[in-house]
Amino acid sequence: MRIFGHEAAHSSPRPSSSALFNRRDLIRTALFAGAASVFGPEFSLAQAVSSGLTAAAKGEDGSTLLTDPNWRAAFLNDHQNETLIVLSDVIIPGTDTPGAKEALVNRYLDLLLSVQPAEFQRKFVDALAYIDAESQKQFGKDFRGLGADDQIWLLTPWAFARQPSHWTARNDTRNEAADLGQQHFELLKALIATAYYESEIGQKELGWDGEFTHGPYEGCEHPTAAHT
Amino acid sequence: MPQDVLQQTYDAIVVGSGATGGWAAKRLSEAGLKVALLEAGRAVTAREFTEHIPSYQLKYRNHSPEIVRTRPIQRQCYACMEYNYEWFVNDLENPYSTPPDRPFTWQRLRVLGGRSLVWGRHSYRLSDVDFKAASRDGYDVDWPFSYPDLAPYYDVVERYVGISGAAERNEMLPDGQYLPPMKMSCGEVRLRESIQKKFGRTLTMGRVAILTQPHNGRAPCHYCGPCERGCMTFSYFSSPFTTVKDAVKTGNCTLITDAIVSHVDMNTGSNKAQGVTFVQRTTKETKQIRGKVVVMCAQALESTRILLNSSTREYPKGLANSSGLLGHYLMDHVVGGGASATFDDMKALPTANPPHRPTGIYLVRFRNTPATGKHPHFIRGYGFQGDSMPVFNFNAPGIGKDYKQAVKTGAYSITLGAFGESLASFDNFCEIDPNLRDAWGIPALRISMAHGKNEAAMMRDAGVTAAEMLEATGAKNIRVTTGVEMPGMAIHEVGTARMGNDPKKSVLNTFCQSHDVSNLLVTDGSGFVSSACQNPTLTMMAITVRACDHLVERFRRNEI
Repeated sequence: MRIFGHEAAHSSPRPSSSALFNRRDLIRTALFAGAASVFGPEFSLAQAVSSGLTAAAKGEDGSTLLTDPNWRAAFLNDHQNETLIVLSDVIIPGTDTPGAKEALVNRYLDLLLSVQPAEFQRKFVDALAYIDAESQKQFGKDFRGLGADDQIWLLTPWAFARQPSHWTARNDTRNEAADLGQQHFELLKALIATAYYESEIGQKELGWDGEFTHGPYEGCEHPTAAHT
Repeated sequence: MPQDVLQQTYDAIVVGSGATGGWAAKRLSEAGLKVALLEAGRAVTAREFTEHIPSYQLKYRNHSPEIVRTRPIQRQCYACMEYNYEWFVNDLENPYSTPPDRPFTWQRLRVLGGRSLVWGRHSYRLSDVDFKAASRDGYDVDWPFSYPDLAPYYDVVERYVGISGAAERNEMLPDGQYLPPMKMSCGEVRLRESIQKKFGRTLTMGRVAILTQPHNGRAPCHYCGPCERGCMTFSYFSSPFTTVKDAVKTGNCTLITDAIVSHVDMNTGSNKAQGVTFVQRTTKETKQIRGKVVVMCAQALESTRILLNSSTREYPKGLANSSGLLGHYLMDHVVGGGASATFDDMKALPTANPPHRPTGIYLVRFRNTPATGKHPHFIRGYGFQGDSMPVFNFNAPGIGKDYKQAVKTGAYSITLGAFGESLASFDNFCEIDPNLRDAWGIPALRISMAHGKNEAAMMRDAGVTAAEMLEATGAKNIRVTTGVEMPGMAIHEVGTARMGNDPKKSVLNTFCQSHDVSNLLVTDGSGFVSSACQNPTLTMMAITVRACDHLVERFRRNEI
């Protein structure tokens, strides 16, 4: 599954002017693919005629849900939640800047998953379970119980693009099947990265200083052939 | 609303308050006519703008299940977000149908200002290569007027709206009245210089309805980025805070919101329109309002729907449809062809900080021009929109600290996406679906449209030429798209009540006046004879002003 990438800008007939805005496409495509067929003849006009303002237009801050001291998972069980926290922190650790754990990536994904179609929820749960199963196979322990080095050792091969075997590719003797582990991992990584970079912590990681304007865009001021 | 609002007879009833309805209301009321401006949605205020709300303050960070549930079609629009989705129609309340093999996405708003609140803002003139295209290549018919007929009205609209852009002296894209253009990035300047030299093609900064200096009491753009969520400084053009405001200020214009027009009322004896019937959105009460003239500005498909729903004994196939052409020749720019790449030798880093330039570049049509001659595989042409700047690389491989760093290092990206001319075809049409009604009981549309071979060839060519130009500019990792998106994706529907001089072959005359019913006008995109490849809103507004000035003259001559 390929979810990320600046080529996603082209998915809109109006290529957006900032990479920031491209992020809205990141999981949208993957997440809601199943919803495209929702609009069929079966819909009901008995739906209430609604009008009014979005929560954002009313000035409501939806982020406070995640920082509630009494927060409880709406979808994930304790083991899944703990596994997600550990996994997200391996993929995006705290460094000189905060990581996925501090950004409460697990809480946002739990909220998001709680309103997804069952098919997508299953995909997510399957992906987490697959990582545990591989961890059990190789170490006899669940992923969250592994030491940091073993966690990295397990995930790293899934985190890079695959290519045919160096030895057999020339003769094309083996068709490499899609790596199931990689597919599961990429789904989780995409969701974790999106949840992280769309958080307030993530926005700051990307350089945002909290301001909405710093004056006009000045553009290129270089002489020809000196562009950077 | 007070009863007396509905008791009087207005000089003109304008249906729709978007880009064209706002202009009709402004132009007619400023000329002294008594106008009723009807909008199907609610009023909008600047207090509900959300352009300065970070996405992490949205409960679902723009992945709200409410949008999926109530806007399964609208969410296909790039501008329909958790921030503003209530501006877009609720698809459950506003159904339409399509044949199974001819999908069409109808993206629209019902709120004061309509799509002018969220439009892409690119504003280009058409040229006589467009208005007289049929004379050049033999396909279909010319428009009933020429560029010089419309040019003064382009001037009027541009001067008022405020279009930032640069003059280029390219015959395919006539220059207009511009505020200073926004600035190009290094990557864009590099592409501009390279393709000018190697291909003789013109890349210009997007000509957009966004201010770069104070203009008509509105402040210049502050470069926060997401115009489609509103603008507290009113720097992009939207009708509620400009034309509609002016119209109401005259004291001659009565604004009636929540008025869903179902049909035009006819006086069959005189063969004149005498007003419209509407359903009050919240109470669902049916009401009538009378006017000496009815001006339809509800956007092409909606205006056409209202006329098709206005059948009388004299006009059994829909009002103003003696030609049988009403609803036919539906067009929407073809999109889907293009390319993206990276400039690996450019090291500027991306940042989430503003300024975020709220627009991009425009690459002027270069196929089938007087200068380049006839293309072997298709007629007409396309232009590109796009941009080039450093972007974050969320797709970076790896995990951990290295991944975090790779995201921030990013890449210098460049993207070109084509907008191509959609050929007018009788077989692309809308009609009333006898089995479908909206939540207010008004018969709904069945839309049947597909892009054809010419559009497909054009998008294939767009992928090829985009790749060639990027390669010639030194870009790497070129990725091409050559497909055709479903019609409606460009959100540039036009053509369903075409203009023309022959009443048998057109619905409207050159002044957007119905051939059949002399006091009925349709001044939105319905009248377009061809789609050209330029974004249509500026032309719709210019056509509206031209039609309204002509209408005012008819009032002065007592012809109404």
